[in-house]
Amino acid sequence: MNTLPDVLFVFHSGRRAARGGRGPGRPRLPRGRLLLFIVAVGAGYPALPVVAASIEGRVTLPKTRSTPVVNQRYEIVSKAGALSTNPPVAIVYLEGTFPKPASLPVAQIRQKDLTFVPSLLPVQLGSRVEFPNLDESYHNIFSFSPPKRFDLGRYRADERPIPSQLFDAPGLVTLRCDIHEHMRALILVVDTPHFALTSATGEFRLTGLPEGRYVLKAWIDSRTTLERPVELKADGVVRLDFP
Amino acid sequence: MIAPSVPQPSHVAGFRTRLVIAMMLVISSVTLLALYFTQRQLAQNVAEALDREFQGELDALHHAQDVRRAALVERCRALVRKPRIHAALEDDALDLLYLSAEDELRDVMVPESGNGAGRASPQRALQAEFYRFLDRKGRVISPSRPRSVGLLEPTADSRLALPGLVDRPQIGYLARPGAAGGPSLVYELIAMPINSMESGETIAMLVLGFKPFELREREASGMESGIWVDGRVHGIDLPPNDAAMLARHLAAGGENRITLGGAPHWLLTKRLNPESQYTPAFEVCVYPLAGLVKRQRQLRWQVLGAGGLLLLVGLAGSQVLAGRLSRPVEKLAVDSKADRAERQKVEAALEMTSAELQRSARFSADASHQLKTPVTVLRAGLEEMLARENLTPEECHEISALIHQTFRLSTLIEDLLLLSRLDAGRLKLQVCPVNFTQLIEASLDDLSAVPDEVDIAVETDFPSDLLVFGEKRYTSIILQNLLENARKYNRPGGRIRVSARVEENRVKVVIANTGPAIPANARGHIFERFHRGAVGENVPGYGLGLNLARELARLHRGELSLTRSDLEWTEFELTLPWAEKKTPA
Repeated sequence: MNTLPDVLFVFHSGRRAARGGRGPGRPRLPRGRLLLFIVAVGAGYPALPVVAASIEGRVTLPKTRSTPVVNQRYEIVSKAGALSTNPPVAIVYLEGTFPKPASLPVAQIRQKDLTFVPSLLPVQLGSRVEFPNLDESYHNIFSFSPPKRFDLGRYRADERPIPSQLFDAPGLVTLRCDIHEHMRALILVVDTPHFALTSATGEFRLTGLPEGRYVLKAWIDSRTTLERPVELKADGVVRLDFP
Repeated sequence: MIAPSVPQPSHVAGFRTRLVIAMMLVISSVTLLALYFTQRQLAQNVAEALDREFQGELDALHHAQDVRRAALVERCRALVRKPRIHAALEDDALDLLYLSAEDELRDVMVPESGNGAGRASPQRALQAEFYRFLDRKGRVISPSRPRSVGLLEPTADSRLALPGLVDRPQIGYLARPGAAGGPSLVYELIAMPINSMESGETIAMLVLGFKPFELREREASGMESGIWVDGRVHGIDLPPNDAAMLARHLAAGGENRITLGGAPHWLLTKRLNPESQYTPAFEVCVYPLAGLVKRQRQLRWQVLGAGGLLLLVGLAGSQVLAGRLSRPVEKLAVDSKADRAERQKVEAALEMTSAELQRSARFSADASHQLKTPVTVLRAGLEEMLARENLTPEECHEISALIHQTFRLSTLIEDLLLLSRLDAGRLKLQVCPVNFTQLIEASLDDLSAVPDEVDIAVETDFPSDLLVFGEKRYTSIILQNLLENARKYNRPGGRIRVSARVEENRVKVVIANTGPAIPANARGHIFERFHRGAVGENVPGYGLGLNLARELARLHRGELSLTRSDLEWTEFELTLPWAEKKTPA
């Protein structure tokens, strides 16, 4: 997920040169990784055997804010204390009581070019997230967020095993790097296996859902979570838009 | 010329004294003026030099303070960017705030254990003694472990608070009582805003307390600086009375001069934290002026001494100069006195001569007058005798000759009278144009009327209506005398020639006659009184005619001179002022 304009890239290249190599020096990843990532997350879960219901819809996302150039470095932005991604994406998840799986897949947030990739990650409660360092410099990931406080300390790319954390409380966790003050990432820990990131236009699709009555929630930013009750029937496709 | 040894008159000596006094006055006033201005200039220079020195020291101090403060602010700025502090404030983890800060500010803080040991280390100037965070409302966030953030008494703690958050660094000063009754300490507070990385809004502030910058050692000039905050001056060692007075003086916003400990001091204040939300604090610099006063007094004495010396030299010089200047004047005065005496003597002599002359002229006039009467009486007697009938022809002839002599005597007396009046200068002419042609003709008529045995021819050559300026009576006498001479000294059968013409506004008359020449040695004397030519003792006359003629001619602003006398020809030339004939209008 890389939305930096070329102008900013040029700016940082210049700064890097002046600092003698510190800062985001590598060429940026090609655009379109976000979609790949969404697909990866959505497809990463094994489909439940008897469930065939699905929800489609669209979350009306807040408009992309044209922030000052210096702030565009941050992919996590806050407005009046509310954190969100820029450009905005939402997380849609289905709340209810679902059976716990025996094991959960390990997610990753990489540290690459002095940013967290991805910068917004939804995980199921009890998941483990690895934080590989793909930069040549040290990073020091920590969180003071109430759901999970941790401090991984300083480590480099060759740190093995890859430092990881188990997220065992639901809620929003803000990741920071103690060395690079601008780095931010958000992990939304949800107590459900059914969740998805919307596309940049707000489209989402949850499949393989069990029938029943649930609450569908849409996390838009750290202070805004919309919810709608939903009744799912077998093989039925429910169309639901937020708001 | 009077010799210099002659005692000088009093007024000459007075001149010298006056000159000396005037010069002394001028020199004294010039010297005093110069002294006054020099002293003033010097005092001003000293004050300016001191001012510069003071300002220099102060600038150096300020510069050091500014550098230090900039360093501190920069350090604080780095601190408030620390992600852990941001995380604690932004991620709802205030319990971790001071814990994280303790870690982050370890380098900044004075080590807890090294309180006594590291006192003199240079780093200590840049190390904080305490720190606190302010929440969104500007209130102090209580530390979890107060020891680690620098212990503060509760009152001081509350005084770190601000009325609200500000997005610029705030400078404040906090006075705290010194340890163990020592002098009070003032801490410099730097409150740094902590801005959200994302939105830029100020979410908290970090307040650090540093020991204020102190003069490493007391300056040679004795300048002391302190901080005035909360109505008290800290950092300047003063007796309680002076300290209270200084505080009062500052509160009243008094002048920059103050008397401390009986000595004048220069006082300078400067706001240390302009535009700060904290209590205003002022830097107070006290600069003793004792040195300045002493130097000015010293200078004044030096100037006075130099001026006195200058004055003495000037006065001595004025004495010498006055002596030199007055010498020619004195000499002049003495000389002029001698000259005056000489002149008076000459004048007296002249007056005497003039009186003598007057007297002799008066005598001649008187004598002539007195003589005229007896001569008239004599002639009347003789004419009476001649009138008698019983006279013989010889007797008649005799008496006639006697009468003729009385006429001559009368003429002589007339001439003498005229001459004496001329000599006395009492003859005043009443000048008017006189027809000279007529006058000549009349005189020639008279001449021809004289019975004469010799036959003399008269030639004339003059224009008609020739006018001269003169008095007719005397002009006529000149002509008569000249013609009489020409006749008397002629030879039988000789000629008289009278010619006249106008030349350069003068009438020139030449009267010439034949006859024996006047001897060369006698020519110079013929115009003298009672001189008679050597020729012919039988020629009648008394030697007054030519003299009288010349005197009268000169009286008329004319001249009479002998122009030629050789062989048988003698010429007299008479000039008289010409009166141009006015054509009747």
